[in-house]
Amino acid sequence: MLESAWGWYIIAYLFLAGAGAGAFISAVACDLLAPDWSKSLARAGSLASGPLVAIGTACLVLDLEAGLWEPWRQIYLVANSSSMITWGVVILSGFIPIAFVYAAALNEITIVGKIAKKYLIYLEIVGAVLAVATAGYTGVLIAVVNGVPFWNTPLMPVLFMASAMSTGLAVAMIGAAIIDISTIRTLSNFALGHVIFLAVEGLVLGLLIFMSLTKSVEAADSAKMLISGALSPYFWILVVIVGLLVPFVMSIVEYHEYGEMPKILVVGADLLVLIGGMSLRAVIIFSGTPPHIV
Amino acid sequence: MQQRGITRRNFLIGSTAGTASLVAASYLNFGAWAAKDHTSGEVKVTPTLCDACGNWCAINVYTRGGRIWKAEGNPLAGNNRGRMCAKGHGFLHEPYNPDRIKSPLKRVGPNKFEPIPWEQAYKEIAEKIKDISAKHGPQSLFWLTHPQANIDLNRRFLTALGSPNLFSHGSTCFMPRNIGWWLTVGSSKPSMDFENARMIVLVGRNPAAGLDLGQLREMAKGRDRGAKIVVIDPRYSEAAAIAHQWIRIRPGTDLAFVLALANVLISEDLYQKEFVEKYTEGFDELSEEVKKYTPEWAETKTDVPKETIVTLARELAVAAPRVVLHRGYHGAMGTQYKNSLQLVRGVGCLCGLLGNFNQLGGMYFSPKPKLGKLDKSAHPSPPRVDGPMVDGSGDPDRYPLVPRGQGMTQAIPELAIKGVLRAGFVYHSNPLRTVPNPARVIEGYRKLELLVGFDYVLSETACLCHYILPESFYLERDDVLHTNQSVKTKQVSVRQPVIKPLYDTKPLVQILVELAKHLDIGDYFNFTLDDWNRALLAPLNVSLEQLKKDGVVDLGGEWKPGEPKFNTPSGKLELASSIMKEHGLPAVPAWEDPLVMPDPKDPHSFRMIHGKQAYHTHTRTCNQPYLMRITSINDSARVWIHPSRAKALGLKDGECMTISSPVGKGRARCRITEGIHPDCIFVPSPYGMYSKHFQYAKKNGGQGGFGYGISYNDFLPTYFDPVLGHIMSNEIVVRVEKTYT
Amino acid sequence: MPRYGIAIDTTKCIGCQACRVACQNQNNLPVTEEFNRIVERERGTYPAFGKEFVPLQCNHCENAPCQRVCPTGATYTTEEGVVLVNPKTCVGCKYCVQACPYRMRVMDHAKGIVEKCRLCVELVRDGGTPACVSTCPTQVRIFGDLDDPKSEISRFIAEHRAQPLRPDLNTKPKIFYKRS
Ligand SMILES: Nc1nc2c(c(=O)[nH]1)N[C@H]1C(S)=C(S)[C@@H](COP(=O)(O)OP(=O)(O)OC[C@H]3O[C@@H](n4cnc5c(=O)[nH]c(N)nc54)[C@H](O)[C@@H]3O)O[C@H]1N2
Ligand SMILES: Nc1nc2c(c(=O)[nH]1)N[C@H]1C(S)=C(S)[C@@H](COP(=O)(O)OP(=O)(O)OC[C@H]3O[C@@H](n4cnc5c(=O)[nH]c(N)nc54)[C@H](O)[C@@H]3O)O[C@H]1N2
Ligand code: SF4
Ligand code: SF4
Ligand code: SF4
Ligand code: SF4
Ligand code: SF4
Ligand SMILES: [Mo]
Repeated sequence: MLESAWGWYIIAYLFLAGAGAGAFISAVACDLLAPDWSKSLARAGSLASGPLVAIGTACLVLDLEAGLWEPWRQIYLVANSSSMITWGVVILSGFIPIAFVYAAALNEITIVGKIAKKYLIYLEIVGAVLAVATAGYTGVLIAVVNGVPFWNTPLMPVLFMASAMSTGLAVAMIGAAIIDISTIRTLSNFALGHVIFLAVEGLVLGLLIFMSLTKSVEAADSAKMLISGALSPYFWILVVIVGLLVPFVMSIVEYHEYGEMPKILVVGADLLVLIGGMSLRAVIIFSGTPPHIV
Repeated sequence: MQQRGITRRNFLIGSTAGTASLVAASYLNFGAWAAKDHTSGEVKVTPTLCDACGNWCAINVYTRGGRIWKAEGNPLAGNNRGRMCAKGHGFLHEPYNPDRIKSPLKRVGPNKFEPIPWEQAYKEIAEKIKDISAKHGPQSLFWLTHPQANIDLNRRFLTALGSPNLFSHGSTCFMPRNIGWWLTVGSSKPSMDFENARMIVLVGRNPAAGLDLGQLREMAKGRDRGAKIVVIDPRYSEAAAIAHQWIRIRPGTDLAFVLALANVLISEDLYQKEFVEKYTEGFDELSEEVKKYTPEWAETKTDVPKETIVTLARELAVAAPRVVLHRGYHGAMGTQYKNSLQLVRGVGCLCGLLGNFNQLGGMYFSPKPKLGKLDKSAHPSPPRVDGPMVDGSGDPDRYPLVPRGQGMTQAIPELAIKGVLRAGFVYHSNPLRTVPNPARVIEGYRKLELLVGFDYVLSETACLCHYILPESFYLERDDVLHTNQSVKTKQVSVRQPVIKPLYDTKPLVQILVELAKHLDIGDYFNFTLDDWNRALLAPLNVSLEQLKKDGVVDLGGEWKPGEPKFNTPSGKLELASSIMKEHGLPAVPAWEDPLVMPDPKDPHSFRMIHGKQAYHTHTRTCNQPYLMRITSINDSARVWIHPSRAKALGLKDGECMTISSPVGKGRARCRITEGIHPDCIFVPSPYGMYSKHFQYAKKNGGQGGFGYGISYNDFLPTYFDPVLGHIMSNEIVVRVEKTYT
Repeated sequence: MPRYGIAIDTTKCIGCQACRVACQNQNNLPVTEEFNRIVERERGTYPAFGKEFVPLQCNHCENAPCQRVCPTGATYTTEEGVVLVNPKTCVGCKYCVQACPYRMRVMDHAKGIVEKCRLCVELVRDGGTPACVSTCPTQVRIFGDLDDPKSEISRFIAEHRAQPLRPDLNTKPKIFYKRS
C-alpha cells in the first residue's frame, strides 16, 4: 500500500536534468579554461545539455496526471513559492532556452547562433549559474520531503550535484569522441574530472549511508535496504562497482596513460558513469520509506 | 487565461514536452472523464432495515439522483442504536452487482440456466409439486428458510401444502444456546444489561466480529462506566482487544471452567443466597454435582491456571448481581461442541448463583410487543399439520428437544439420499456452502426431483436449483414487519423499498401469493403484504403509514429491574432442569468430554475452530468488492496458528499449509500469532465460496469470490449431536503440514 | 470560527472497518481508494499478549508538509482548519503524497488528482458529524471543536492527555489519540 508514489519518470527526470546541467557546466569549463585541449568537448556538452534537460522535464510532465490530460492546469505549477517544484519550474524555464541558445552560439547554428555568439560569455555565466541551480535543485526537490527521513538531509543536493557533474562530463566526453575522435588524446585530460567528481560522490554517498544508519529508524531502514536489503544487489553492483569504482580506476589509468589506452576504454568509463548515475537515483527513490507512525 | 496557459506551457516545457503532453492528453483525457462518478442529483432518505446479515438493523438510506449513495443507522432502533457496520455500508453497492439474477431462471443443464416468465415457472413448479406430493405424500416436501420475519409466510405456505418439514439454519448456528436457556430460564434469548453491569463475561462469544451493534454500543457504555470485560476464548478475539482480561482456554473445555466457577461460588459460600432460595430450583443437586469440579481439576481440562478461575469467581461474587454472562450465539455455546448444551446450562446456573436475573446490570427478558394476526374469517389459515418432522425433530422418541420449524438442516441431504425428501424450497439460505461436508450435501441435493431456490445471485445452492425465483433485493422490497429492535423497550420496525427493483424480481410475499394459486392453495394467500402487516400492527395502534415514515416505532414499556419471573415448568430458574430429567438427561450440568481431542504427541494434530469477521457475513459477502478489499489489504483470510506449533512444522508467517481431515483437504496460508491456543488452528469463517459465478470481486479490486480461501465445512463430517442433532462444528481434529511445492 | 479535530480512543477499537466503508460511501470512493485505514498491532507473548487496532486518517496538520510542497496551491487549509485538495487545480504531481509523513494521501488515478480525508466538511457544515465518527459501534472517535475548552473532545483530550501521532515531526496534527 505504501509503494513509492514516484516511479521511473521522476527517476529519469532527476538523471537527465542532472546530466544535462552537468554537460553544460563541462562545456563552459572546457570553453573557458581549456579550449586548446578539445573544442569538440565543449561543443558536444553544449549540444547535449538543452535536449537532455528538456527531455527530463518532459518526463516530469509525463508523470503528472490531471496536469497532463488537461495541460492548462500547468499554469498553476508556479503558484506556491514555498514548493520546490515551483522553483524548479522557474529554474528550468530559465535554463532550457539558454542552453539551446548557447548550443546554437557555440556551434554557430542558424542566424540566432551567429548573433548570440557575440554575447557568448554572458550566456556562459548566466547559464552556468542556472545549470548549477538545476543540478542542485534535483537534490533539493527530494531533500525537503520530510515524508521520507532518508532523503531529508542536506547531503542529498551535494550528492546529486557531484553525480550531475560526473554524468554531465561523461555525456560531453562521449559526445566529443563521436564528433571528433582525433582529439581523443587530449580528451584523456578530462578523465581527471571524473577522478575528482567520482571521489566526491563516493565520499558523500558513504557519509549519507553512515549518517542515515544512525539518524532515525526509518532512514536506517532505507539505508539497510541499500546495503543489505532488497535493493542491495543493484546498489553494490550497479551504483558502487559499475558506477563508481570501475570508472574511477579506469579514469585514473586513462589520465595516466594519456590517450595510449584503447579508444573504446575512454568512452567505456563514461558509459559506466551514466549507468551508475541513473541507478543511483533509482535506488534512492525506491528506498525512500515513510516514518513509523503507530 | 487559457491562452496565457498554453503559451506559458510551451515556454516552460519546450516543444518536446508540449507535444508529448498533447499527444498523451488526446486519449488519456477520455479515461479521466469516463471515470466521473455522478455525485449530483436530488437526495432522498428512506428508513428501512438492512439485510446484509441477520441482525436487520434499522438504517436510513440516502439515494442521490435515484441511485443508492450511503446510509446511517437509525438512532431510535434498540438493536443498532444509530450504528451501522462495514457489511451494511458495503452491501449498498450490491444491487448494482452485474452478476445478479435478473429474472426467473430454469436450469437447462449443469450450471446452465435460461430466463423464463414467472407464469411458466409457477406452472411447471406447481405441476411437479402436486405430482410428487401425490406420489410420495406431502411429508416428502421441505422448506429451508432464513429464520426471520418472513418465516411465518414460509410456514403458512408449507403447512398449506400439508408438510411439517420447515427447516432453518439453527442446527448450524444457535440450537444449544436457544434450548439451553429455554430449559433454564424459560426463554431462549435472555437479554443483557451491559450498560449497568460491573462485570461482563463473554464465553465463546465475540460480538465484535459476530457483530451485534446494539450490544457493542452498550458494552462500550458499560466499559466507559468502569465495567470489567472478561473474554474467554482460545483466540484473542476482537472483543478481547477491548476487554480487560483474556482467558486463553483450551477449546471445547468451557464447561469444565464454568463448573469450577460454580464450585468456587458454592464452596466459598459466595453465591446470592436470597436469590437462590427464592428464585431457583435444584440448588442441592447442583452443589452436590459440582463438588468434584474443583479449580485444580478444571485446570487440567481447560489449561487455565486454577488461580485465574478462583479469582474470577470471587470477582464475580463481588460484582454480583450486576454481572452479565453473555447468552452466547454460535461460538462455544452454539452448535460447536457435544457439550455445548451442558455449557449453556452451566452458564445459566451461574446466573442463578449470581442472582443477576431481572437485576440492574444483569440479565433480563426484553419486553416484546404483542403482534396481531390476520382475521381468520376473511383469510382462512391452512389446517394445522401435526406430528414430528421427517428428521425426527419434535419426535418424542428421537429428538424431542429439537423444535419443529428448526429441524436439522444437515439432515436434508441425508434424507434426500434415502428418498424420504423429494422436493423442496430454499429461501434466503445457502446450505451447499453453509452446511458441513459439502460433497455429501451436494450429492443429497442433487437427488431431489425438484429444488426451487430464492436468491439474488447464483450461489452454490442456486446452481443446483431446477428453478430460481429471484426475490427483489432487500433495498428493493417490502417485508413482514418485526419486533427484533425491541431490546430495552418495545419496538416495531419494517423494511421498505429504497429503489424500484432494477430487474424482473418480486418480493417473497407476492411470489407466494401468485404461486399459491397454481397449487390450489390460493385461498390461504388471499392477502397482500400490507394486509398482513396491518393485521400484525392492529393491537399496537400504530398505522402502517407511520411505521413506513419512521422505519422504527418505539412503543415504550421500558424494562425495569424487579422480581424475576421464569417461564419454566417450576416458574423458577431451573438449576436442575425438570425437562432434562424427563428425557433421562443430566438434570444439573455435568462434565461431558468433547467428542474428539487432538493428539498432544502429534505435532500435526490440531482442533479446527472458526469465527466471524466483522466485515463479512457467513460466506455470502466475499464476492462484494468493497468488503473483499478489506480482506485482501489486511491479508485476513489466513489461518491462525501458534508460534510454537508453527515452528515445529517449519512454518514461517504467511507460508502455505496443507490441512486435511477424514472428509476434506485444503490449502491455506498461515498467520502466526500468540493470540491463539496451541491446541488449535483458527479458520476465519467467511471464505471458500465455490460457485463459478462469483467473479465480481476479482474484476473489482482484485481478489475474492470463487475459490478464495477455505471453509471449515470442507473438513467436517456430517454429525448429529445426540440430544439436539446439531453439527458440532468444532469437533474435528485436522492434520496440518507445511506445503512444499 | 471553530477549529475541528477528532479524538481517537484506540482502546475501544475492534477493527470492524465500519468507518472505512462508511467513509468510502460518504465520499463516493472507488473500491481501491481509502481515506481511513485501520492497522492492527500485536505485542507481547501470552499471558502478557495484547493487540491494538489503530484507526488512521489525515491529521489535518496545522503545519502541513503536504501543503508546503504543493506547487499549485491545490492543497489548502479552510478557516475551520480542515486541509483540503482543490480538484480543479491539482495536477497530480504526487509531491504531497511523498511529503505526508503519515501517508494519508491517495492518488485517484481515474481523476488524475490526489484525494484525502476531508473531515466530512460538507456534513459538518450542516451540523452533522463525520461518517466515520457516527457509524462506529463502540464510539472510538469524538469529533468537535478543539478551541472550545468545554467541548467533549477538548475535555477528553485534557482528561486522557491524548497525543497526536509522532508529535516530534512537528506537523501539529488535529487528530489526537488515547492509546492506553
Ligand atoms: N462456511 C461457513 N458456514 C457457516 C457459517 C460461516 O460463517 N461460514 N455460519 C454458520 C451460521 S452461524 C449460520 S447462521 C448459517 C447461515 O447460513 P445460511 O442460512 O445459509 O445463510 P447465508 O450463508 O447468509 O446465505 C444466505 C443466502 O441468501 C442469499 N441472499 C442474500 N440476500 C438475499 C435476499 O435478499 N433474498 C434472498 N432470497 N436471498 C438472499 C445469499 O446470496 C445466500 O446465498 O451458516 C452457518 N454455516
Ligand atoms: N460480521 C458478522 N456478524 C455476524 C454474523 C456474520 O456472519 N458476520 N452472523 C450473525 C450470526 S448468524 C451469528 S450466529 C453470530 C455469531 O457470533 P459468535 O457466536 O460470536 O460467532 P463466532 O465468531 O463463530 O464465535 C465466537 C468465538 O468463539 C470462539 N470459540 C471457538 N471455539 C471456542 C471454545 O471452545 N471456547 C470458547 N470459549 N470460545 C470458542 C471463536 O474463537 C470466536 O472468537 O454473529 C452474528 N453477527
Ligand atoms: S450488523 Fe451490519 S450487516 Fe448486519 S444488519 Fe446490521 S448493519 Fe446490516
Ligand atoms: S468503526 Fe470504530 S471500532 Fe470499527 S474500526 Fe472504525 S474506529 Fe474501530
Ligand atoms: S496528515 Fe498528511 S495529508 Fe494530512 S495534513 Fe498532515 S501532512 Fe497533509
Ligand atoms: S498532487 Fe496535487 S495536491 Fe499534491 S502536490 Fe501535486 S498539485 Fe498539490
Ligand atoms: S472524516 Fe470523513 S472523510 Fe475523513 S475519514 Fe472520516 S469519514 Fe472519511
Ligand atoms: Mo448464526
